[in-house]
Amino acid sequence: MTCEEVRDLLPEHLLRSLDDTTEARVRGHLRGCAECRAERVRLEDGVATLSHATHEQEPPGELRQHVLDVLSEEWEEPRGSPAPTVAPAVRGSAWRWLAAAAAVVLVAVSLSWGVSQSRRATRLQADAGSYQALLDTLGGKEFRLGALQPADGQAVKGTVVLYDGEPGKDWNSWGIVMANAPDYSGEARVRLLASNGDSLEMPSLRFTNGEASTWLVTHQDLTPYDRLVITAPDGSTLAAAAIVEA
Amino acid sequence: MRNVRTDDPEADTALMTAFVGRDERAAGVLYDRFASRIYGLGIVMLGNDQTAQDLVQDTFVKLWRTAARFDPERGRLETWVLLTARSLAIDNLRRRVLESRSLQELGPPPVHDPAPGPDDLAATADLSSRARKAMSTLSPEQRSALELAYFGGRTTAEVAALEGIPQGTAKTRIHAALLKLRVEMAKEADHDV
Repeated sequence: MTCEEVRDLLPEHLLRSLDDTTEARVRGHLRGCAECRAERVRLEDGVATLSHATHEQEPPGELRQHVLDVLSEEWEEPRGSPAPTVAPAVRGSAWRWLAAAAAVVLVAVSLSWGVSQSRRATRLQADAGSYQALLDTLGGKEFRLGALQPADGQAVKGTVVLYDGEPGKDWNSWGIVMANAPDYSGEARVRLLASNGDSLEMPSLRFTNGEASTWLVTHQDLTPYDRLVITAPDGSTLAAAAIVEA
Repeated sequence: MRNVRTDDPEADTALMTAFVGRDERAAGVLYDRFASRIYGLGIVMLGNDQTAQDLVQDTFVKLWRTAARFDPERGRLETWVLLTARSLAIDNLRRRVLESRSLQELGPPPVHDPAPGPDDLAATADLSSRARKAMSTLSPEQRSALELAYFGGRTTAEVAALEGIPQGTAKTRIHAALLKLRVEMAKEADHDV
């Protein structure tokens, strides 16, 4: 992209109305072009002026403490507790929400425990292509995958699929775990882990006939989570996965 | 030209780092800096005091939940906060449409009496006054295109279709309007020196 092309797109970049592909190209250009970044700053000044001119109005005085109290409640939630929006409250475009569900499940199932030890290049390329095609269709940020690796003495295998919704849009993020454990029965705890120490609890796996699956739908940002661990009720680790971009 | 920017990227990064760390003072600073514009946006776009208050609450919760994503390299904190609020307001409007509730039924926005003392608000009022003067310098065509894009969440293609103009013209009007606001705001600031 040339500077002229990027500057032509800057207002839409600023107002978040570019499609994902174009947005990524604009951001890529901006990272390496100080002059275009400076132009963006000038336009941001315009947005700030617009906001002061057209929608600045003092809220009721009591609202401040109310908002701070709400944030305190948010902060007091124990780390690792499920996101408050785990229940799939359908917001925005319901059909896309359902389409995302169906598509993710279909693709995840099609992998059939596929991101396994036998990672062949052609298979991976096909998988990546499938996920990219889904992203192009559904929007969203990215798909990420993980292969469950059994802990010592365990035989748990399976697949983790995360779908990161688009930041700033009314878009759900998803997590799906499918596990196969011939020697295990009962419940198992599933947690997503982030490098900053945060964790997010997913609904438990319930193994029946050696198989189990669980899924999570949330408005919470899943992008910080790059690992998943499955533990037995006694706390022992059954399996873990590193989650990487598809 | 006097710099009209009111924020500092390093200070903003530090502020967001503190906010991510659940620092109530940081939350208070963010509130004091942005709540009036978020609330005003709610009044303008959603036309209802209670919904505007909900917008403020929802915006701050969303800012907290997505705070780790804030990257000053991708834009200023001020823009990020404002467009997060705008996005939530647009979502709210879309839900109303989905619920088949006509926007016309909402009636005019209620008049809200801002109670706080004038001393606290003097700087803000001055800034708003200067910003409104800057807005008045836009041509009707520039203002219309900018408001459709900003408040309506319209793409330039949609703005062009609604205004009956080529897409390139819509882009130019929005771009020129934003730059003109900046220039006029700076002039107003210089007059006050």
